[in-house]
Amino acid sequence: MSHTKLYAAIYVVLFAFATIQAVVEYAGFLEQSYWLAFWAIIVLSVIKAVIVAAYYQHLRWEPRAVSYLVVGGVVAAVALTAAASFSIT
Amino acid sequence: MLGVHTVSSFILAWFPVAHAGDVRAPADVFNEIFTVFLVLGTAVGVVVVGYTLYNAYKYRDGAGDGVDADVERPQMGEIPTGGGGGKKLFLSLTISAIIVVGLILWTYVSLLYIETGPSSQQAQQQALDNAGIASASESDAAAQAQANQSGELNPITIDVIGHQFSWQFVYPNGHTTTGELRVPQNRLIELNVTSADVFHNIGSPELRFKADAVPGQETDAWFVAKQTGTYQANCYELCGSGHSYMTADIRVVTQNGYDQWYDRTNETAGNETGGNATEAGGNESASIESARVTAGSGPAAAQQVITP
Amino acid sequence: MSELPPKSSIKRWFLTTNHKDIGVLYLITALFFLIFGGLLALLFRIELLSPAADFLGETGYNQAVSAHGLLMVFWFISPFAFGFANYVVPLQIGADDLAFPRLNALSYWFYLFSGLLFGVSFFQGQTFSGGWTMYAPLNTPTYLPGEALGATTVVLALIMFVTAVTLGSVNFLTTMYRMRAEGLRMRDLPLFSISINLTVWMMLFAFAALLAALMILTSDHILGTHYFSYQIDGAGITQGANNPGASLLWAHLFWFFGHPEVYIVFFPALGIMAECFQTFTGRRIVGRKWFIIAMVLVALQSFIVWMHHMFLTGINLQIKTIFMATTIGISLPFDLMVFSLIYTMIKGRIRFTTPFLFSLGALIVFILGGITGVFLGAVVLDYQFRGTYWVVAHFHYVMVGGATALFGGLYYWYPKITGKMYDEFLGKVHFGVFMLGFNLLYFPMFLAWETPRRVFDYGGLSTTIDLSALELGVYVIPYEVWHNMSTIGAAILGASFLIMFYNLFVSYWHGEEVGDNPWAYATSAEWAVSSPPPLENFHDTPSYASGRLEFLDDEEVAARSSGSSGGGLAGHGATATDGGTSTDGGTSTDGGKPGSATAASSGVQSGGGALARAGPETALGTGTPGEHGHDGHADHASLWPFIVGIAGFVLFLGLSGIRTGGTFYTSLTVVGAVGVFGSFVGMAQEPFHAPEPLLAERWPYGGVEKMKLGMWTFLASDIVLFGAFIGSYVFVRVAYGWEEWHHLIPEAHVTMPGLINTYLLLTSSFAVVLAMVAAEKESRKGVLLSLGATFALGVGFLINKAMEWDHLFNLHGSEAFPHGWDLTTNLASSTFYLTTGLHGAHVAIGLIMVAYMFLRAWNGAYMGDEKPIEYFGLYWHLVDIVWLFLFPLFYIL
Repeated sequence: MSHTKLYAAIYVVLFAFATIQAVVEYAGFLEQSYWLAFWAIIVLSVIKAVIVAAYYQHLRWEPRAVSYLVVGGVVAAVALTAAASFSIT
Repeated sequence: MLGVHTVSSFILAWFPVAHAGDVRAPADVFNEIFTVFLVLGTAVGVVVVGYTLYNAYKYRDGAGDGVDADVERPQMGEIPTGGGGGKKLFLSLTISAIIVVGLILWTYVSLLYIETGPSSQQAQQQALDNAGIASASESDAAAQAQANQSGELNPITIDVIGHQFSWQFVYPNGHTTTGELRVPQNRLIELNVTSADVFHNIGSPELRFKADAVPGQETDAWFVAKQTGTYQANCYELCGSGHSYMTADIRVVTQNGYDQWYDRTNETAGNETGGNATEAGGNESASIESARVTAGSGPAAAQQVITP
Repeated sequence: MSELPPKSSIKRWFLTTNHKDIGVLYLITALFFLIFGGLLALLFRIELLSPAADFLGETGYNQAVSAHGLLMVFWFISPFAFGFANYVVPLQIGADDLAFPRLNALSYWFYLFSGLLFGVSFFQGQTFSGGWTMYAPLNTPTYLPGEALGATTVVLALIMFVTAVTLGSVNFLTTMYRMRAEGLRMRDLPLFSISINLTVWMMLFAFAALLAALMILTSDHILGTHYFSYQIDGAGITQGANNPGASLLWAHLFWFFGHPEVYIVFFPALGIMAECFQTFTGRRIVGRKWFIIAMVLVALQSFIVWMHHMFLTGINLQIKTIFMATTIGISLPFDLMVFSLIYTMIKGRIRFTTPFLFSLGALIVFILGGITGVFLGAVVLDYQFRGTYWVVAHFHYVMVGGATALFGGLYYWYPKITGKMYDEFLGKVHFGVFMLGFNLLYFPMFLAWETPRRVFDYGGLSTTIDLSALELGVYVIPYEVWHNMSTIGAAILGASFLIMFYNLFVSYWHGEEVGDNPWAYATSAEWAVSSPPPLENFHDTPSYASGRLEFLDDEEVAARSSGSSGGGLAGHGATATDGGTSTDGGTSTDGGKPGSATAASSGVQSGGGALARAGPETALGTGTPGEHGHDGHADHASLWPFIVGIAGFVLFLGLSGIRTGGTFYTSLTVVGAVGVFGSFVGMAQEPFHAPEPLLAERWPYGGVEKMKLGMWTFLASDIVLFGAFIGSYVFVRVAYGWEEWHHLIPEAHVTMPGLINTYLLLTSSFAVVLAMVAAEKESRKGVLLSLGATFALGVGFLINKAMEWDHLFNLHGSEAFPHGWDLTTNLASSTFYLTTGLHGAHVAIGLIMVAYMFLRAWNGAYMGDEKPIEYFGLYWHLVDIVWLFLFPLFYIL
């Protein structure tokens, strides 16, 4: 099950997304509309992360339970971050 | 039952009669809820523990009721399964859930009251009604009448700053005391609490206010003292070697007595050190910065702070 | 790999990797820390006889209180429970051992040495004195008395302990999901094993958050960052504090760990109570299914209740309301479990043996702990209980209630572990004295609840008992009376353990021998084997496929496992045939000593270069999976875990004083670091065989080989670690003001180095994938090229980072930052260097692994066996993913 071409294509996409993130800053979008640019950049990061996990870490081809394990960790971390930050607003 | 007596005596000791002419103080709120919880908690505890022991005795091996019971016993090597009795289980769960959830929801109303303070409209109205009835019979009627007329509770806001190891109080006019908080009777006292060094917590067992003193941020609390006298405030968060000594006296005086004292502070605009801190007699240092640096140097170091 | 000496040999206990031996080591060590923590408690209870610091002194008292809490919570209760877990869980699930036996030994040695490190802290001036909750900023050197080296040591000891816990969690989860006997679904496990499973899940995530908190705290101690402290600008007090979130950040991180920790401590006790109730009432647990569901709910909810420890900290009303609701929510499953245990007694044949008495006692004190906990759930009441003895009394009823059940467990499994029966009469006496001491110690604390916590000068307050209604007058009782009762209770509670130690010690030599199962109605598999069980637990392969426990011989196993997913792996059956004589201990009657143990497991590892054939469980995660067609002997001995442990001890001891710059601590650090590195390499080189069972229930991780599952579980905890670091950054930035934050960052901190590093890491991830593909295609050249590229890119990443840091450190021309922008400059620099530094450390560790794998590939490894590369890739890609978030958060936004 060689996926060399797929892996290469994914690499190109990841490379492009990272570039776009930097471009968002260089083009001054953060100054114009900080929070819109903020979420755009975060969403790009999330997409990149999901792609790496799904293909390079081949979670796509593992039993779902492995993905749940990972999601469990992510949810715990996000819950901590979100609730703690919200508590002082 | 012993505990119940303890609590009811508390209420009697501190608030012999429902002291009219004021808002519902945090102490009243606490005592009421605590009493209910204590009574219910004791009852539930006695019933559940009693039932547990009763069953343990009733079904003892040898002479108990379970010996001849026609039931299947667990066997070596079986895949575990549950015994029957699910219905009973859920009935018990439902009852306990109703008690617990009901109790907590009931207290939530009081929580909102404590959180928003008596300044909120409804509470204010209630306070005013009470004040109207009470002003005739009270010695400090003038103050109450004033509150009544102006339509507001006229709170006094005091900044509280925790230091290792003393409490500092800053009055609206900038007057600062250490180790002693002087407040008038039957007035709403609002505290803005913070710390100049580590995490502290100020609270008074009698007046039932409590607030964390967190460096870098402010928390608030309020109370109303209905009886003149001296109460104690403690530190409730371990803050170093002098944590035990970090107390302050809260002197509750009449409105007139307070006014006289407060006017004098306006004239002198000086600082006062009193209470426990004086007795312990620690180092005095001139600024918060040095208070921080000398932290831990001795028990109950009293700091005088020059305020801008 | 070494041969395992008999139990009578001291050597065995340093070498063993067998789960039962390690279980015993855990139990004994935990009891040692019970005595340690207990004596500290007695000391400060003596201090509290009168309201003044006239015995230990002020700082002595604070040290005793803090060390007592830390030792009992971390070094006694949980490890004691995990002594049982180690011993019993593999037996209950029908496994030979844990999935990674050497890792298990490593956990133990880290645990032991972390505790010893704690002990050393007492001799470094002072130990930590800021309470077991370690609230900030009192936990930083600025506010700690003296040099605070002892405090740093305690923080490092905790880090070492957390490492042990994390390794243990990974190990237990992998074991329980990969090595269950045929026919044993997860829900079919005995309740003790289920409770351990859920405990371990909570540990995996909760301790990762604690690790983050501790690492940041260590950085504050050693590197001088300012996460948990703050500086005040000028005269203003609240205004101008440059890190307004400092104290609350610690509280959030600590309690995010701390609340699950309550259940981590209590769940094993609950499991033992369930086992003892079923066995000694002779009734199956009522509503067993719901009991399990309730436990699962608690385990999940435990992560969303932490702020009920922070109700007064100024958090907003909405969040208080949410956490009040989740707190009530979590109490209800416990109600169900309590009722379930009570109803289980009905129609039972209850035998009041010592284990049952302790379980029943635990249930009763837990009921009291639970009821007083509901008081705390009412936020208005909680405000007043905050920081008082109500809290102290409540959590001792819960936690020592849990410990009560654990002592029941000790009596319950004592015959299994030793092959001897304890003295029942002395056991009952112990129970009686224990309960008397317990309640005399903790109940008066409810009566004296107004006493502020951690205060020795508690005078001036009194309790009034008004009995005038009964015409008995009014009595005013000074709190001193209650506190004196507590102190007497403490002495009685402590003394009760003398009875236990005497009983267990004497019974070990003179106790009555027991057969397989001394308890009627015990059902689980540990009672189906001899007492103590043979080295590899079962002579034949246990199976529940027929609906009850059976033992299959090799032919049946071979027949059933042909074509199954585990096919071809080294099987249990093979071990059972030629290892059948391996009784360690056993029931032999010669002398007082347990049977002459003959470890028949001197497995001979068939040839092959050591590098190319490193065992299936290597600490670096680069080993090969179970080897095909080997001769079937499992290994049970390795000295490396002990050596890694002692090297870690030296390293951490050195780090504790490194900020003094002295030769002593510096050389310890260097020696320790070299030792840790060398011993890990030694461990990775050692051939060690731990076979996976041929026939096993593996839901829901059927297709996931054990190394892979272990790696993923570890990565899940790593995600929480990084998550907590990133969360800390987000939190302090929100507290400071998200966009004002930019003023803290110099102009020279630009996007480009981050972007270049993103490219480098992405490319290196791609290279790892190519290496895996090359290994599949058996292209040695391809593997070497790809791994080489990965290494080069990783090194490039670190060089680029070093150049960037060097530039930022030395911004001497900058107007805003005349002294450069280093770790201690401000909050933004602290968070930047620490978070990306943690990531950089992950990269560096990854590079060591790549270098190691490159050497192995050079020697011809991985051809047609890409799995080790795949597992390394999982780690490397995660490091990549983390960077994908660090890049925007620290370079763009």
